[in-house]
Amino acid sequence: MAKKGSDTVIERFRSITENPQGYAKSLHEQGKLVAGYMCTHVPEEILYAAGIVPVRILSPHVSQAMTRSYIHETYCSFSHDCAYQGLSHNYDFLDLITTSSSCIHMGEAFNVWVRFAGFEGKSYLIPYPHIIETKPAAAFMKESYGEFKKFLEGFVKKPITDEDIEKAIKVYNQTRRLLKRLWELLRREDPPISGPDVATATLASQFMDKQECNKLLEKLLKNLEAAPGKGAPGVRLMVSGGACDDIEVLDLLEHLDYSVNLIFVDSCTATRYFWFEIPEGRADKLTAIAEGYISRIPCPSKDNVPGTGEKKRLRYVQQFIEEFKPEGLVFLYQRFCSPQPHDIVAMRPILDKLGVPSIDLELDSTVPVTQFRTQLEAFLEILKPVVPLE
Amino acid sequence: MAYAVKAWNDFKTYQNGCYRDYLYATEGLRVMGSTWSALAPLKGLGDDIHLIGGEPHAASLAGTLPDESRENILAAEIAGMGFHSCSYLKLFTGEVIRDKIGITDGTIKEGYPRPDLIWTTHLCNQHSKWYQEVSRRLGGVPLFPVDMIGGGNAEKDPKIVNYVSNQIEEGINWLQKVTGRGYSDELFAKAVRNEIKVLVLWGNICALNRHAPAPLDERRLIALFPPAIVDRTTDESVRLYETLFEEVKQMVATGQSVAPDQRFRIVYFGIAHTYGHPEMARILRDVGAEIVASVYTFGTCGNFKGIVNGEWSWDPIDPKWVDELDLSTRRKAITELAKIVLGWPTWQGVRSYWALESMARAMIKEFNADGLLLAPSRSCETDFRNGYVGLQRIFKSKIPTIEYDTDQVDVRQMDLPGAQRKTELFVHLMEAAKRRSA
Ligand code: SF4
Ligand code: SF4
Repeated sequence: MAKKGSDTVIERFRSITENPQGYAKSLHEQGKLVAGYMCTHVPEEILYAAGIVPVRILSPHVSQAMTRSYIHETYCSFSHDCAYQGLSHNYDFLDLITTSSSCIHMGEAFNVWVRFAGFEGKSYLIPYPHIIETKPAAAFMKESYGEFKKFLEGFVKKPITDEDIEKAIKVYNQTRRLLKRLWELLRREDPPISGPDVATATLASQFMDKQECNKLLEKLLKNLEAAPGKGAPGVRLMVSGGACDDIEVLDLLEHLDYSVNLIFVDSCTATRYFWFEIPEGRADKLTAIAEGYISRIPCPSKDNVPGTGEKKRLRYVQQFIEEFKPEGLVFLYQRFCSPQPHDIVAMRPILDKLGVPSIDLELDSTVPVTQFRTQLEAFLEILKPVVPLE
Repeated sequence: MAYAVKAWNDFKTYQNGCYRDYLYATEGLRVMGSTWSALAPLKGLGDDIHLIGGEPHAASLAGTLPDESRENILAAEIAGMGFHSCSYLKLFTGEVIRDKIGITDGTIKEGYPRPDLIWTTHLCNQHSKWYQEVSRRLGGVPLFPVDMIGGGNAEKDPKIVNYVSNQIEEGINWLQKVTGRGYSDELFAKAVRNEIKVLVLWGNICALNRHAPAPLDERRLIALFPPAIVDRTTDESVRLYETLFEEVKQMVATGQSVAPDQRFRIVYFGIAHTYGHPEMARILRDVGAEIVASVYTFGTCGNFKGIVNGEWSWDPIDPKWVDELDLSTRRKAITELAKIVLGWPTWQGVRSYWALESMARAMIKEFNADGLLLAPSRSCETDFRNGYVGLQRIFKSKIPTIEYDTDQVDVRQMDLPGAQRKTELFVHLMEAAKRRSA
């Protein structure tokens, strides 16, 4: 049987998530400048405006012990895995490695690249607010972006104009809008695409040249928006957590003994990556970028509204629950992640109020598939009195 | 003969007094938060502000009431806080959960005294999450976190100083709004000067340990810096540290020390674990090995010259400089305060491995060390944990170096026999190095 157009697009996204360094290397071989970035707070638009393709550094999901003598064992497994990408020289071809001062664990992974993996002369740390809701944050970010822009201008040996930045903002906003449309499909009772496939496209976008990515997303949406559902809708589950770039876990959710639909993933490798836009057409481009990034769903490590101490992120999670209507929620977070568990403690009473049961799964470099399967199936059994199971 | 510090009783009385005020005050405002914050802004509200600071309270409680501390940590874990979360945080939150509080004089008060507001800092991932959780559990206490984007010479980066100053200015407006009180810039400026003075005096006292024998050991350093942390904005705190400075100068002049047998001088990077584990200190003490300099006791609340011409210096700042500071406007006072707070050594290594290495290099040299002891704290996520892994790589070929895991206050997280064996080996390494160079 001939493959549907959407299937080939998804296959392309999947192949990129399975070998991101292969994809990045192909860009490099085409003569493009390529920069690795380690945190989603890096303003990719400025890199793109300089003619550099930003490629996110994520976990290779291999069992390894090498990083234990570079990063303390009690740092999250995700930061170990990202440090490993540098130490194993998988990305030596990169022209630059960047990050913004964000979670301390990732900061240490970045330090490993700079100190021990040969990136000392080609790295840039962007000073960035640790609390995103402070009133002076935008002015600080603008200044910091200005320094970054100047550094990049020296790096590419040409000025970055306002037009370049505006163009990059538009390309990136287009990706965001397309991804949002893709996720919106999962609101349907019988979605035409699976949750893991949507998550795969989202993950792939973080490695890709956005213009190429946008073409693929447009093609995918064209095929899907008028398409019927995949049939046999199951229990609607939402995932909420820290970085979870292991598509295998998300696939597992939809391959249990009971029929399940993954309908939303609140994480910095999924919706938190793109669920915002940068204001277009502004005279002050760097302030526009700052405002856009401030309007993101906050990262748990940066979320504390001065004056009230509110965690703004919880409002979004509540909103997503109301819109996407999950019947159960899976907290998925990295072993040793420090900010995430604090949010979970605060989120439980909200879930109780909304009547959404939850379960915790702790991620490591590799996925303990059998244990996760048992836990998830037990969770679905618990949901049984409430939700009819197939 | 070992010297007994005369100022000690006054220090203890001051610290206990601050905590008792927080527990029992019937008037004024109770304020909670990380003492790794600029405290003077609170004092513009009046001189009836009773403070309790997260880290020193948790640390001193673990020393004073270890069983209670363990119960608090367990209570926090049962309430959902992760095993690997900051143990200071868990101990502190555990008291809120158990609805009782203990302090350094051994008092345990039933019924947790609710703060009127929380004024705190955010640097590590957990810093202000800590107080968000406390606020939530106490039904929503107003909270103002200041984003301290420190690290690697931040106090000399105008962009960062400005960012922090803007937030403090914003915070002062908030303090007025949330308390309904007026704000005295005069009281604020006075508190700023006191705060800076105490921090600078403490730096001067620590720097005297460059002498041989070092007048103070790690145990006294740990005991003598908490008053600087608990409330360093008062006239009384300045008087205490001025008196101590004079006394320690006198000790140096007469060659006295609280631990005169100092065959080996150790530089230590780690949180004060020898406080909770006296058996570790004993191994060192028995062979005449003393920790004479540590980034935690020197630099959690103390200031030095810092990065000068690209390299760290533990040279003290002249206390007279503080008297001459121009604090004539609110903004000027805020800026000086932001700079001094951003200059704390323990912050420099956060995200700036080069600053951490530079601090270690300078400390080893300036304090003429025979060995470097690195003790990453398992549940603290700043340089107190990770930076040391890199430090060991770099320094082990230069100076006898040992590394073992500890924890801030959670004794379960330490492999005591393993650490003891490593410490014994460390002593052998220093002995061998001494013989080689003789
Ligand atoms: S937020 Fe959590 S998962 Fe993400 S880098 Fe930090 S510790 Fe790791
Ligand atoms: S983790 Fe470390 S730096 Fe953070 S609050 Fe705890 S003791 Fe302080």
